[in-house]
Amino acid sequence: MKSIQASLWVEILKVRKSKIFWGTIILFMFISAMMGLLMFVQIHPGISGKLGMIGNKASMLRFGVPNWKNYLVLLMQGIAGVGLIGIGFVASWIFGREFSDHTVKDILAIPVSRSNIVYSKFIVVIIWSVILSFVYLAFGLLMGWLIGLPDWSGEIVIQYSCNYFVTTILILLLSTPVAFLASYSRGYLIPLGFVILTLLLANFIGMVGLGPYFPWAIPGLYGTPGVTADLQLHVSSYIILVCTCLIGLFGTVAFWRFADQN
Amino acid sequence: MITDIIRTEKISKHYKDVCAVTDMSLNVRKGEIYGFLGLNGAGKTTTIRMLLGMIKPTSGTAYINDKKSSSENTELWRQVGSLVEVPYSYPELTVQENLEIFRRLHFIKNKNAVENIIDKLQLRQYATRKAKNLSLGNNQRLGLAKALIHNPEILILDEPTNGLDPAGIYEIREMLCDMAINRGVTIFISSHILGEISKFATRIGIIHQGKLIQELDTSQLEILCKKRLLVNAHDIEMAYSILSEKGYDVERNAEAHLEIMNSEVINNPDTIATLMVNAGCPPTMLKVEEEDLETYFLRTTGMKGGVR
Repeated sequence: MKSIQASLWVEILKVRKSKIFWGTIILFMFISAMMGLLMFVQIHPGISGKLGMIGNKASMLRFGVPNWKNYLVLLMQGIAGVGLIGIGFVASWIFGREFSDHTVKDILAIPVSRSNIVYSKFIVVIIWSVILSFVYLAFGLLMGWLIGLPDWSGEIVIQYSCNYFVTTILILLLSTPVAFLASYSRGYLIPLGFVILTLLLANFIGMVGLGPYFPWAIPGLYGTPGVTADLQLHVSSYIILVCTCLIGLFGTVAFWRFADQN
Repeated sequence: MITDIIRTEKISKHYKDVCAVTDMSLNVRKGEIYGFLGLNGAGKTTTIRMLLGMIKPTSGTAYINDKKSSSENTELWRQVGSLVEVPYSYPELTVQENLEIFRRLHFIKNKNAVENIIDKLQLRQYATRKAKNLSLGNNQRLGLAKALIHNPEILILDEPTNGLDPAGIYEIREMLCDMAINRGVTIFISSHILGEISKFATRIGIIHQGKLIQELDTSQLEILCKKRLLVNAHDIEMAYSILSEKGYDVERNAEAHLEIMNSEVINNPDTIATLMVNAGCPPTMLKVEEEDLETYFLRTTGMKGGVR
C-alpha cells in the first residue's frame, strides 16, 4: 500500500506539473464550445453566413430539433470520438514519455515494484480522463445554457449524463492496449498512430455492420441512440471490450516486469 | 558474514548472434571500490544492467548481498544506488521535485533528505531550476544525487564523472572515497577515464569483447605495469652502438629516443650515464617511464599504445 501510494504521488506530480495536462483541458473545453456553436447555428440558421466556413459546416449538419435532448446526444457522440483520441493520447503520454525522456531506467531498480508503477500510471490515466470528460460535459452544459437551448429537463440531463459517463468508462477500458503499445514501442508516436487507426477502423467496421464486435467501435455505438438492429450492442460486445482491456493491462504489466529494459 | 557484496556467476548476455557478455564471474568485497574498465561496446553497461535486474542474463546469475539480482526483489534495491549511462531527469520538474520523487520512491522518512543531498552535491543554486535547463555537468550531479539520496550501502555507477569539470571530478572522487573508507560503502564503478579510476579504485576488472580478461588489486598495478628507460643523445646512432655493444636490449621508439627494458638499468639509470659519458657520448636525457593504467589496459586488451 505504501508502495503504491508513493508511486501514485509521483505520477500525479509529473502530470500536475506538465503543460500537456492543462493543454488537454483547454482543448476539451474548446471542442465542447464547438459543439455548443453547432447547436447555436441550428437555433439561428441566419447566423451561419456570418460565421464563414464553420457556420456553413454547421448548417449542413443536422442534429434534429435544437433542444437539450439532441444536444446531449451530440455531446455523447462527441466524447465517443474525441474521448477515444484524448484518452488514447493520455495513456500514450503517461507510459510513452518515460521511454522517450529516458527516465524509465531510474525507476526500474527501486524499492517500488514495477507492477505498482504500472498500476499507478493507470490510476492517473483514469483520473486525468475523468477530469477531461467532466470538463467536456460541464463546459458543454454551460454552453447549452448560454445559447439558450429550449426544453430543459433535469431528468433528461441526468439520464444522458449517466450514459455519457458510461461511454467514458467504455473508452477508458481501451486505454490499456495503448499503454502496452507505448511501453513496447518505447515512445508515444506508435500508440498515437494506433489510436488514429482504430478510430478510422471503428468507422469503417461500423459501416459494414461489425461494430458490435470491434472494441473501438463499441463506445461510439453505445452513445448512439436508435441504431439499426445489426449495430445493437449485446453481452458479447461488452465481453470483447473487457477482454481487450485485460489483454492490454496484463500485457503492460508483463512487459514492465519481465521484458529486458535496454 | 557476507564478504562478496556483488557477485556474478558466469553471466552471459546474447542478443541474437551478438555475445554482449560471455561467462563473466566477478566479485566485489565490502567497502571495495571496484573499477570496471572496458572500451565502448565491451559489455560494461550490459553487465551493469544485469546487476541491476534491468535485463535478464541469457545464462548465469548475478547476486547482490547474496540475493539474486532481479526486478522482483524490490527489498534489495533499498540498499542500492545506481546511475546508468547518461542520467536523465523529468525535464518539466525542478531539481528539488526530481529529488523529492526519489525520496518518496525510496520511502525515506526524513523530509530534509532532499535538502541534504542538494547541499552535498552542490546543487543549491539550481534547486528550483527545471531539469531541462541544467547543464550536462549539473544533470550528472542530479543523477548522482538520485543515486545517493537514500545513503545506499552499495553503489553501482556507470561513467559517473561524464560531463563534470576537473574540479567536479575531484570532488566526486573524494566523496566516493570517503563513502568507501568511512562508511564501508561498496562501489562498483565503470569508467573510460582510466587515469581517474587508478587514483581511487582498490580493485580493477578489465572487460574486453564481453569477457573479463583480468582482475587485479591496484597495489599489483605497479608490479604489472612495465617500466622503461628512455635515453637521448646528440649522436643517437653512436649511443645505440655503445649500449648495444654492452649487451643491453635497446630499441628505437617513434620519438627517435632509445628505450632500454633491462630491469637492472631501470633501477640504476646512473650506470648508463656513466657508460655514455666515458664513451664520449653524454646523454641529453635519461628518463624512467612507468606504464600507466591506460597503457597497461591497451596492452592487455591487445590494442595499440602498450609498451612493447
